[in-house]
Amino acid sequence: MRKTITVILLIVAVIMPFLAFDILPVIGDPQSAPNTHVSDYYIEHAIEECNSPNMVTAVIVDYRAFDTMFETTVMFLAGLSVVIILANRPKKRIPAHSSLKRVRHSGGRPVFETVNKDVMISVIEPLILIYAIYVLFHGEVSLGGGFQAGALIGMTYLLDVMVVKRDKPIFNLSKTKAAAIAGFGPLIYALTGIVTILGGGLYLEYNKIPLSVHQAELHSIGITAVEIGVTIGVAGTIITILSALMERTSFDDDND
Amino acid sequence: MTENIPVLIILLPLCSALLCLALTAAGKNLGIIFVKISCLASFMLSCIQLQMVVTGGTIHYAIGNYAAPFGIELVIDSLNAVLLVCFSLIGFLTLIFADNFGDRKRPMLVGGACAETALLITGLLGMTSTGDVFNLYVFLEITSLSAYCLISLGGSRGVVSAFRYMLVGTIAATFYLLGIGVLYAVTGTLNMGDMKEILSQGGHDDAMLTAMCFLIPAFGIKMALFPFHGWQPSAYTHAEPGSRPLITGVMGKVPAIAMFRFIYCIYGTDFRFVRIALIILGVFSVAGMLYGSLMAMGQTDLRKVLAYSSVAQMGYISLGFAIGTPIALAGAFLHMIGHAFMKGGLFFCTGAIRYKYGTTDINDFGRIYKQMPLTCGLLTVAALSMIGIPPTAGFFSKWYLALGAAGQQDWIYIAVLVISSLLNAVYFFRLIEKVFIRQSSELKMRWKSEALELPVSVILPIVVCFVAILGIGLFNVRIVDILLMTLEGVGL
Amino acid sequence: MMTTINAFLAAKGIYMLTLALLALGVAGIIVCNNYMKKLICMNVMQVAVIFFFLCLGQKSPGTIPVAVDTAVKASEYINPLPHGLMLTAIVVSLGTTGVGLSLLLRIREKYGTIEEDDLLRREELMTRKKKDGGDRN
Repeated sequence: MRKTITVILLIVAVIMPFLAFDILPVIGDPQSAPNTHVSDYYIEHAIEECNSPNMVTAVIVDYRAFDTMFETTVMFLAGLSVVIILANRPKKRIPAHSSLKRVRHSGGRPVFETVNKDVMISVIEPLILIYAIYVLFHGEVSLGGGFQAGALIGMTYLLDVMVVKRDKPIFNLSKTKAAAIAGFGPLIYALTGIVTILGGGLYLEYNKIPLSVHQAELHSIGITAVEIGVTIGVAGTIITILSALMERTSFDDDND
Repeated sequence: MTENIPVLIILLPLCSALLCLALTAAGKNLGIIFVKISCLASFMLSCIQLQMVVTGGTIHYAIGNYAAPFGIELVIDSLNAVLLVCFSLIGFLTLIFADNFGDRKRPMLVGGACAETALLITGLLGMTSTGDVFNLYVFLEITSLSAYCLISLGGSRGVVSAFRYMLVGTIAATFYLLGIGVLYAVTGTLNMGDMKEILSQGGHDDAMLTAMCFLIPAFGIKMALFPFHGWQPSAYTHAEPGSRPLITGVMGKVPAIAMFRFIYCIYGTDFRFVRIALIILGVFSVAGMLYGSLMAMGQTDLRKVLAYSSVAQMGYISLGFAIGTPIALAGAFLHMIGHAFMKGGLFFCTGAIRYKYGTTDINDFGRIYKQMPLTCGLLTVAALSMIGIPPTAGFFSKWYLALGAAGQQDWIYIAVLVISSLLNAVYFFRLIEKVFIRQSSELKMRWKSEALELPVSVILPIVVCFVAILGIGLFNVRIVDILLMTLEGVGL
Repeated sequence: MMTTINAFLAAKGIYMLTLALLALGVAGIIVCNNYMKKLICMNVMQVAVIFFFLCLGQKSPGTIPVAVDTAVKASEYINPLPHGLMLTAIVVSLGTTGVGLSLLLRIREKYGTIEEDDLLRREELMTRKKKDGGDRN
């Protein structure tokens, strides 16, 4: 039954393209609808309106900033969901099938014994952090932005956790604390919009940030504030998921 | 300041959800109280907005002050305004109600669940008010992710049904994205109004048909329309009891609104294949109405009965879309509002009975009306409304649907409407009989008090739903008038 | 014959690839018995749609959308909009996968398996036990 549905689905999915290819534009056609209508406006007005040579940044944090706010919220939501889902444990496990025996990996040394942690902590991690900050503040000029910076900062924490023994962590963020911090990221984003409302504009209208600098500068300030929010949100979420999983496994080991 | 109301309605629950965990860490109940207050504020703002829309016409709110096709736009017409009031009210009631179901020893977990509920409300309100197809996708994902989490909180069964829902829901989201991808490929825009204008110039019929093939299953899965409803009964049954009224009452309706927007507001009735699409939709809804009612008759767990009856009720809503005249569409939307309160109210009752007695099996409900008169009162009114007995909301929505079907001479639809209502009567009268007449074994009470049958936070949502069901029934003409302000222009 | 096929592949071949990927993902979700494999197929499906959108943003003489000087001509840069949109879609797919994995962890802990038919059998067992034990909730 299932297999037949699949076969039908596959046939439909193979036939559909042949019906659909006529309607889709030729790849790379400069005159196709997606490449002409709003796209031209974005390319030609990104610099003067948003003061951002990187048009993708201009689109995601200025023209379509509302989307990105909720995208950051999705990150926070995912971290929070992982925390909540993993917070409950079954009271008793249903006895395992005889064929399924729990396999434990033994052998191999843990990572913190094989890596020179002094080099890692004092040389590599600062470099990563500097790079993250560069990526964050350069997002509007060149490639980069809040998501990448947040991921880099999250990775730094992950490296820390990997090279240091678990009972002696350098930073210790519990999962709920990390989730609370991750919540502040989207909040900064949302509050940037509230500030523009208080300045007399519409939501996320960076021109109306109540600061007395040049119009174009205001856009830069708005974009930077928003990117900082995104960075905190992403970094916080990565740390949240990591802590949630780690607290889970340590609990698991105690049980067995 | 008043021009910012459309965005503030979405922002208030969002900000409170983001702050909820930090506030819970600072003080035990602080976060939850803050979430409740902001959701109440959101509800009040949506009432003000409804007033504004009724007097001043459709509101277009351009975010970032970028004009329509370039920026994201929120569009609040009379339809959205009414639905926003209804949804934010149910969201607020659910938050109050959910207080009684958390694990008090773990405040962070309760705060987290509260934040999830607030984010679910955010997603639902956003999906209702947005005027941009991609923004709708983002809100759809917020809704789905928080729903997965809330469903999984209902124990290990809940986890399994949440996982299944996640797989199916992701297929739906992907299909939706593909559908708007095809539309974007031929129009080059993501704004709904702009898209309608470009599509109405003609010449895109094939692309529109292809997109429709992806969009109807996508929304069908999300709203649990008949052949796509597989995930729904177990998810509704095993969801976390506190947030279940919101999930069951509102979550299925919002994709239905999106479907309406695509069929009538973007494609328009000039679309060459609109008749075929509507007939297919009609077949789905007719089958769903019969199937849902028949399946509901066979269940003994009240939650399952109500879950299957939801399949049937979604059929009524999509039937209204399939008929397509303004009056039938008004019936569909009136049913949407009414059903949100009915199903929400019935699940408030289920939760209340479970709170007091710890059971949801209808065979255990012998004469509980003596102990829980208010709950049973709502249970009866909501059940009568589901069947369609005047002067409740359900009667009038079915009346408008039948009126619309008669106008189009779709006699089969009327026949199915009547048959399905009779089937509803069978299983709801069985429920009423159990509650009022049949004597059965004594039940252990979990919650005892001399003064009240239940805590105030459980009674308040029940009373509000009670009033709303009767109110929607009595003031249906006024509501339909407001709905028709938008619907006159879009129907067949 | 060959030239027409080549021309077709050059003009619209990538759409075929993305749709084949999509079909693979959907079929995998339906056919696979293992929940982990279903999750992987879900990811494949999402990636297919991301590719599809990126195809729409391509413009043949265009370069990456970062302006090198202030005078900008629209024909010189590729369409930035699909890239921005797909950033959102990637984040969403990441979030969904994370939630899915944690759900799987819970399923594995409770039932000791993530094979679907095994799980269904066990769920049936649980229901029967519940009916005997009278434990309702």
